[in-house]
Amino acid sequence: MLKSGSNLEKLLRAGHFVVCGEMGPPQAADSASILKKCGYFKGYVDAVNLTDNQTAIVRMSSVMSSYFALQGGVEPIMQMTCRDRNRLAMQSDILGAYAAGIRNILCLTGDYQTFGNHPDARGVFDLDSTQLVQMVKKMRDEKKFLCGDEMKQEPRMFIGAAANPFAEPFEFRVMNLAKKIEAGADFIQTQPVFDIPRFEKWMNAVREEGLEKEVHIIAGVMPVRSVKALLYMKDSVPGMSIADEYINRLEQIKDKEAAMEEGVKIAVEIMTRLKETPGVAGVHIMPVMWESVTPRLVEEAGLLPRPVAAEETEGKEQGTMCDVGCRM
Amino acid sequence: MSKTSEKIAEFIESHPTLNTCALAAENAIKKPVFGCQDCGQCILSYTAFTCPMRCPKEMRNGPCGGTRADGHCEVYPDRYCRWWLIYERAKKLGRVKKLRKLQKPVDRRLEHTSAWLNVFAGRIDPPSWGRE
Ligand code: SF4
Repeated sequence: MLKSGSNLEKLLRAGHFVVCGEMGPPQAADSASILKKCGYFKGYVDAVNLTDNQTAIVRMSSVMSSYFALQGGVEPIMQMTCRDRNRLAMQSDILGAYAAGIRNILCLTGDYQTFGNHPDARGVFDLDSTQLVQMVKKMRDEKKFLCGDEMKQEPRMFIGAAANPFAEPFEFRVMNLAKKIEAGADFIQTQPVFDIPRFEKWMNAVREEGLEKEVHIIAGVMPVRSVKALLYMKDSVPGMSIADEYINRLEQIKDKEAAMEEGVKIAVEIMTRLKETPGVAGVHIMPVMWESVTPRLVEEAGLLPRPVAAEETEGKEQGTMCDVGCRM
Repeated sequence: MSKTSEKIAEFIESHPTLNTCALAAENAIKKPVFGCQDCGQCILSYTAFTCPMRCPKEMRNGPCGGTRADGHCEVYPDRYCRWWLIYERAKKLGRVKKLRKLQKPVDRRLEHTSAWLNVFAGRIDPPSWGRE
């Protein structure tokens, strides 16, 4: 049986190579920009991440912006970090999110508050991301709150977690993934790939453990407009690995427009490589403040048209769904 | 833990002076040696005797995504990431498999109480001493 019935879950279970997008909610009390951005995603991606005060900068809540995304006709993946809420607030937000029609959640630790625009804030970190995954699973599968109290209507969420194949300690990262799977992760989204050999080394280790059969791994892709963005990530974003090849290619181009074109080309190349990597179930396109490039990337990577999920087959036909290519 | 150990814990905890002494004794060892943060639900035996609560995000199951290439913390670049240290030490001590255990959420009521007494009283999981 489907766990959540989300479009993302259905497509993954049917064995399709999925495409996720991402948008940052506005730094304003205004839903119009979300509805406008939905146009970049509708028909081009299968689900869209709505970030949760990303980089610790205050934006509209991921719960409410996921709700607006739904109204705009795209399926949201609501991100939830452990930085801003304790276990009570998280559970109540999850109840509300489900009631509003949100079916996917991505459980994250969250960027540390001192990096954002309220560096004087208190970080909560009541749970860690693995414990958050476990809590959502308990709510969904046992119909119980973390404390053990029962609930009538459970939030049937498709549960995601993050993995970073590029940060140290490298070998432990695979065990960390196994822990998140045991905790209840249904899908994984990775940090953006800019270092294919390193990513493939990680995937090899993942396949050795057979983990790609237990969870859907969706690899991150970040299109960049200039070499500046790459250099910034290389020097200032901990836990990233950027291959020199991409830096060299972008450095040589002086013209702004041409550099943008090369950025698109690089992203498409990476997407194509990821599609061929065994065990990778999809890509997650995460442009920073450049959502409008998404349709082009999906098209040039040959990922159009997007598949339509078959209607849920309840009861006796259940078994056949798994034969098509369910990885669970 | 056994009935006797529960009795001992109960006895000590019902005497404020004894209770304070027990906590002071535990802190006197665990603070300087392991950098204990007094969470009251010790998992040092699972984390290669390296306290995960010194991580600024208090990660108890593994590192966040920000560990630097040199093994340092994303928040405090001059310190090692706790989980980098935990993993390095676990390799040396033959305790890597113990890192695999899912660690449950912290019971905030037990903060600043004696983890030793909490084990005796059966309030938290007992430590895992043996090597793998
Ligand atoms: S880098 Fe390591 S010590 Fe620093 S916040 Fe992340 S997990 Fe904690």
